Amino acid sequence: MKRTQTAKNKKRIGVLFSLCLLLALMGCSAANGSNESSGNNGLSQQSAAPSAAADAASEEIVLAAPRDLAPGPQDAYYTSTILYVWEPLITASEDGKPAPKLAEAWEMSADGKEWTFMLRKGVTFHDGAPFNADAVLANFARYKQVSPKSSPFYTLDINNSYPSLKEAVKVDDSTIKLIFDNPQPTLLYSMINFSSPMYSPNNFDENGDFNGLPQGTGPFKLVQHEKDQFSLLEAYDGYYGEKAKAQKIRVRVIPDPDTRLAALKSGEILGVMDLGAIPPALAEELLKDDRFAVSTAKSTISHYLHPNGAKAPFNDVKMRQALSLMIDREQLVKELYLGYPTATANILNSTSPFYKDIPAVHHSEKAIALAHEVLGDSRQAVTLIVPTYGLDRYPYKAQAELLQAVLQELQLDVTIQILDGAAYKEAQAQGNFDLAMATQGLPNGDPYTILNNYMASEGSSNKSYTLGYTNARVDELLNQVKATLNMDDRAAIYNELQDIAAEELPTIPLFNDASLIAYNKEITGYGALVYGTTLPQLERVQ
Amino acid sequence: MAYFIRRLAAAVPVLIGITFIAFALSVASPGDPAVELLSMNGFSQPTEEQIAVKREEMGLNDPLLAQYGHWLSKALQGDLGTSYMTKESVSGELLRRLPATLSLSLLAVLFAVLLGVPSGMLMAIRRNRLFDHIGRALALILVSIPGFWLAIMLIALWSEKLQLLPTSGYGTWKHLLMPAVVLASGTGAILMRLTRAALLEELNKDYMLTARAKGLRESFIVLRHALRNACIPLLTVIGSYFGAIVGGSVIVEVIFAVPGIGRFAMDGIFRRDYPVIQGYVVFTGLIYVLFNLATDLCYGLAHPQIRLGGKLR
Repeated sequence: MKRTQTAKNKKRIGVLFSLCLLLALMGCSAANGSNESSGNNGLSQQSAAPSAAADAASEEIVLAAPRDLAPGPQDAYYTSTILYVWEPLITASEDGKPAPKLAEAWEMSADGKEWTFMLRKGVTFHDGAPFNADAVLANFARYKQVSPKSSPFYTLDINNSYPSLKEAVKVDDSTIKLIFDNPQPTLLYSMINFSSPMYSPNNFDENGDFNGLPQGTGPFKLVQHEKDQFSLLEAYDGYYGEKAKAQKIRVRVIPDPDTRLAALKSGEILGVMDLGAIPPALAEELLKDDRFAVSTAKSTISHYLHPNGAKAPFNDVKMRQALSLMIDREQLVKELYLGYPTATANILNSTSPFYKDIPAVHHSEKAIALAHEVLGDSRQAVTLIVPTYGLDRYPYKAQAELLQAVLQELQLDVTIQILDGAAYKEAQAQGNFDLAMATQGLPNGDPYTILNNYMASEGSSNKSYTLGYTNARVDELLNQVKATLNMDDRAAIYNELQDIAAEELPTIPLFNDASLIAYNKEITGYGALVYGTTLPQLERVQ
Repeated sequence: MAYFIRRLAAAVPVLIGITFIAFALSVASPGDPAVELLSMNGFSQPTEEQIAVKREEMGLNDPLLAQYGHWLSKALQGDLGTSYMTKESVSGELLRRLPATLSLSLLAVLFAVLLGVPSGMLMAIRRNRLFDHIGRALALILVSIPGFWLAIMLIALWSEKLQLLPTSGYGTWKHLLMPAVVLASGTGAILMRLTRAALLEELNKDYMLTARAKGLRESFIVLRHALRNACIPLLTVIGSYFGAIVGGSVIVEVIFAVPGIGRFAMDGIFRRDYPVIQGYVVFTGLIYVLFNLATDLCYGLAHPQIRLGGKLR
């Protein structure tokens, strides 16, 4: 009897153990199955040996990004523009000026209230629907319906990009007209890329979300997407322009930079892309191996040091100037970012066509004297807050420590506080900080938005970041620029605003970031752009 | 079965309690979900009007108890809500990520048991001999190694150097080997030491002397009598550990790019995505309840005198 009970127990334990093993393996095979069912041959490549690069039978090129570049159907865009699935009406040329994409030409009325766009002909969406005036109007209707629609890339907000838009009308099959209540002389700048994405009119559900994979007009189709794992792109045969050179590109999600580096070295991936694709220190390490190369371009990201201008000591412009003069930006960029970014004292990012070159001045004696004027002989305790999301992409911890050391000479005893994104924003909004390390992307080619946000007395960034900046002349200039139609006159106003910002420092600009990518020389045609890469030109070396 | 249902029913108030605490802590922590949503790209700066409209839309202006009650009434009907950030169903997202987390956890537990129990047994049997010394040193090393460092070393060796395993991702059994080893190393070492200690205690008891006097083989005595009595603390550790790693192992998931529950929860916490945090708490709470139950069932299997519901046979 006892023996029977023991045998039963043994059997139960055996069954339990087998069940565990089975479940573990089922988990793998389930994922495996789902990929295979959609024709995935990339898993063998993901399996490292033999490497992706050596897999001659495969046409697929595998790249990696730190985040999922296709957030999905609920996102404003479904994919980032850097996957080349969708295209905008207006894009940016290399110098940051508006350039034609799906809109071939345009015309502004004399009063600046009407804009007519001539659309590119012979273009089809990936689902076969024609790109024409009706499709554009359907997209504008969606903008209205969903705005403001959040996204990890840019917020889609028709009220920001097309302020005072009265209506969008069809003139003929390949012409549309946008009619505004107020003059919009810089409309083209605010329409660039993320502000004028075009999708097939059949691609939306009743809420304005996507009803399936995105159907754009770009050189690549998104044919498969596994959230937080990969996006599979396939060249679109019906593309109107120069077709993508690679037939299939898989963009994997590898959040950890060290793992991305290891994947590059092992040949599992052939390149990296997106913001923070490869930190400068790892890029230098990779370059020791001559199988790899890096490519850089300017970036729309600026790095600032926000002072709390609503309280002492940084409510005094002299103290802000002391801070700016004390920081050796060239050294910072060279030591911590290995020289890839560009030091600047300008609030405006260098990719803006209105950017004015304002050299960064480092003068520690003058800085110390200014600080002494403000603080006298006393020392001041200050809190420097650092967001955790900055630590993931940049050497912000080292940067904070460097600032802590340097600012001691200004009689400032800096305490570093690392806060998660939400707590960091709250601390800024409540003014519970003295200095904050921050990044800022250029929202669009027209500097009005960024200058207004940071410099206007009621500017949203000025208030939310507790910059405490006010200048009547600045408010006047910002009002004046709204009514200025002539671009040269606008440029003159923007120049004056940049000069004021460099002098009075509502925030302390540190450097303009660089877009940095790395790749295996087994691929060619792959290079960094201001935003994204030359993905359609990418191909495997024969 | 009645016992099983009773235990599950008893877990309901516990789950409600922990979800309320989680909700209260989320609300009390600094940050506004509406601001997070409107500035999720890190660049946009919403206006005060936009924030006010979004807060109203998200129901964040309602009294806190009303917000919680609204969530709870839906949760009791099986709807864990929709993520503020991704606009996707929380339960759908948890279920989508469950296979990755579950397969990784099962494999990790398997590795920990395979490493810890046999080695611990041998160490106890060969007490104070070479194998025992090596085993104790190894256990100390394994328990001291930080997981992220071990992960980087494993990737450098098996992926970069030998190119036998993929650095990261999810899809085949090969993808799970390194993350499972990293997760298993610390617990495997604890199991080694625990098995050794528990077995030594049993081996010194009187009934062992009786067994030996009866002329039974040593291996039979150890496996049949001593291990069985020693395995209760082992089962407790394994059960708790399983619950903990199913709940998420963020560092390992990030390093090895495993699309598991830990990463999802961490993103939710950073973005003050209350429905995600609540859903995660319910999910992990349930997992703990189920694994505690499973552990209790295993006690009965391992030790026939222990019967569920506190009755002794």
